[in-house]
Amino acid sequence: MTGAEEAAEETGETDQQVLQRRSAAVIAGIEAIDPDHVLHLASSTLKIVLAHFIDGPGARPGRRVFAMPREEEGVAIAAGLELAGARPVLIFQDNGIGNLLTALLTLSQPYHLPLLAVVSRRGGLGEYNSMIHTISERAEALLDAAGVRWFQLDVRTPVGRWAAEIERAWAFARATHRPVFVLVNLMGS
Amino acid sequence: MADLDRADVLRVIDAAAPDSPVVLSLGGIAREMLAVAGRKGNQFVSLDAMGQTVSLALGLALGLDGRAPAGKVIAIEGDGSLLMGLSVLSTVGHLKPDRLVVFVLDNGVYLATGGQPTASADIDFAAVALACGWRGARDVRTADELTAATAWALTTEGPVLVRVRISTAQLPAGYFLEDPAILAEDFRRWLRTH
Repeated sequence: MTGAEEAAEETGETDQQVLQRRSAAVIAGIEAIDPDHVLHLASSTLKIVLAHFIDGPGARPGRRVFAMPREEEGVAIAAGLELAGARPVLIFQDNGIGNLLTALLTLSQPYHLPLLAVVSRRGGLGEYNSMIHTISERAEALLDAAGVRWFQLDVRTPVGRWAAEIERAWAFARATHRPVFVLVNLMGS
Repeated sequence: MADLDRADVLRVIDAAAPDSPVVLSLGGIAREMLAVAGRKGNQFVSLDAMGQTVSLALGLALGLDGRAPAGKVIAIEGDGSLLMGLSVLSTVGHLKPDRLVVFVLDNGVYLATGGQPTASADIDFAAVALACGWRGARDVRTADELTAATAWALTTEGPVLVRVRISTAQLPAGYFLEDPAILAEDFRRWLRTH
């Protein structure tokens, strides 16, 4: 299915159906990586994804799933996990990018420690919070200014490709020895 | 006034745990450990990332769970840096990594930047850690207490925290300007071979 065909198909779907389909793709992508540690921070748009790992099929023996109080704390924990040879993935929302930049640019990036962050988009079409766009719509600019490599998954990429793209982002982070962010729009745009 | 100088505390910890993975907080802790112990493969030097020393050590302790090298994973943190990332005490208390030992070297000031006061004088770090679910915590003011607390921390199921009240005396130590990518690779190499 092409991106245009997929978008057309999504046109007939409710927001909830789009959320479910895209969330399933994100789950599949993260599961393909087979992380042994999943660090997350609460997000209403990520609730399906997080539920899978917190108390769903993704909460399996041998995998630690836990909340990070702040994104920067998660970056540092992931750095330690990476040094130890573990396979951590971070999942959070784009309005937390500002919180983590110092840790990312003084630890993961200069120490050449790979890190995969799956980051949900907010603040676009379909947004229900009147102010979150003030930071969320600047997510790409913030990451660009910080020199952090990111990829975007939204309506322009067929949902059927999302899982593979997330898995490739994991490999890319390790191949290039640096953090890589995958920005996922689960809200329909 | 505290009896203990930072350099003396660092010597005690290094002598007690020469083969444990150690994460050194930025600034004086890292520089003075390098001055008293030399550059060692088991020590990961944080050149900046203030507030993240314990988080980094937590990740190490989780990642090394059930794997070599055996023994404790140690973080040596300052009071100012810990206060910048105090939420990690709750994460550690929740996850309870049994290998994690955290030494908080508390001089009450941001010494590397001119001695501006921190809020530590009004904070009972040991009580906070215990309230967060840590398995043990002690407060240390003398050399004898430090020796006893270090032996206890290295033989007790973690996570445990040892707060060490130290003076503001500084050991002359130059800047450490190594490439962080080399520091990380050296530390990984040490982990792979121990």
